[in-house]
Amino acid sequence: MKEYDDREIREALKQSFPPSNPELGRDLWLAVLRKLDARPAPVPWYDWALLGLSAGVLVFFPRLVLVFAYHL
Amino acid sequence: MDLRQRFARGEIDAFETLVRQFQGNIYAWIVRIVRDPSIAEDLTVETLWRVYRARHHFRPDGNFGAWARRIATNLAIDYLRRKRPEETLLAEPAGMSQPDRVLQRETRQKIQLAFRRLPAKLQVPAMLALVEERSYEEIADALGTSVGAVKHRVFRAVRLLRERLTKLGVRPE
Repeated sequence: MKEYDDREIREALKQSFPPSNPELGRDLWLAVLRKLDARPAPVPWYDWALLGLSAGVLVFFPRLVLVFAYHL
Repeated sequence: MDLRQRFARGEIDAFETLVRQFQGNIYAWIVRIVRDPSIAEDLTVETLWRVYRARHHFRPDGNFGAWARRIATNLAIDYLRRKRPEETLLAEPAGMSQPDRVLQRETRQKIQLAFRRLPAKLQVPAMLALVEERSYEEIADALGTSVGAVKHRVFRAVRLLRERLTKLGVRPE
């Protein structure tokens, strides 16, 4: 069976993907500004729990800092 | 103070000026990759948002347009990775519904689908080089890679596409 050569692949792709209009239809500044103003995603509760647990462990077992430091 | 320096310091007025200056270029680049104006607008907004968030990494003596384009290209690649190929099929443009002498509608869709099933890292350089006829240097710059790597990816894309079209029984007219 005849296969596409490189030139035919290029032509087939050009005909399958007609030219797209590269002109931007509207100003996007306000959309960008809205996105910048949007509140950042809240930190999930389990992250706070993990932070609290880690802080608690280090307060009650301060020597564990050395173990953590060793593994870092 | 230079506009880019003011942007790097987080001045929103400077950023607004840069957005107005570069949004058209960024959109045009993205739409060439994703081929969907609405998706391209969304990705342009996302790009500009990321640009602002990453302003501390921008060197004020650097090329703002090239830097933003690289961020845009990475976002477009991520979009193509997430999207199912079937969802990216293009609607037939007006006036193209009649049987086409060169390629029938069905064949075009098969080719689109086979192309969209290629890995995103191959699709993007292949689309830009083969369909949009952008230079290898420009594509390499946008991808943050070498010209040799771009040529290799385009070569692999063509080889894979040829194999897949042969399997699908899609042959040149």
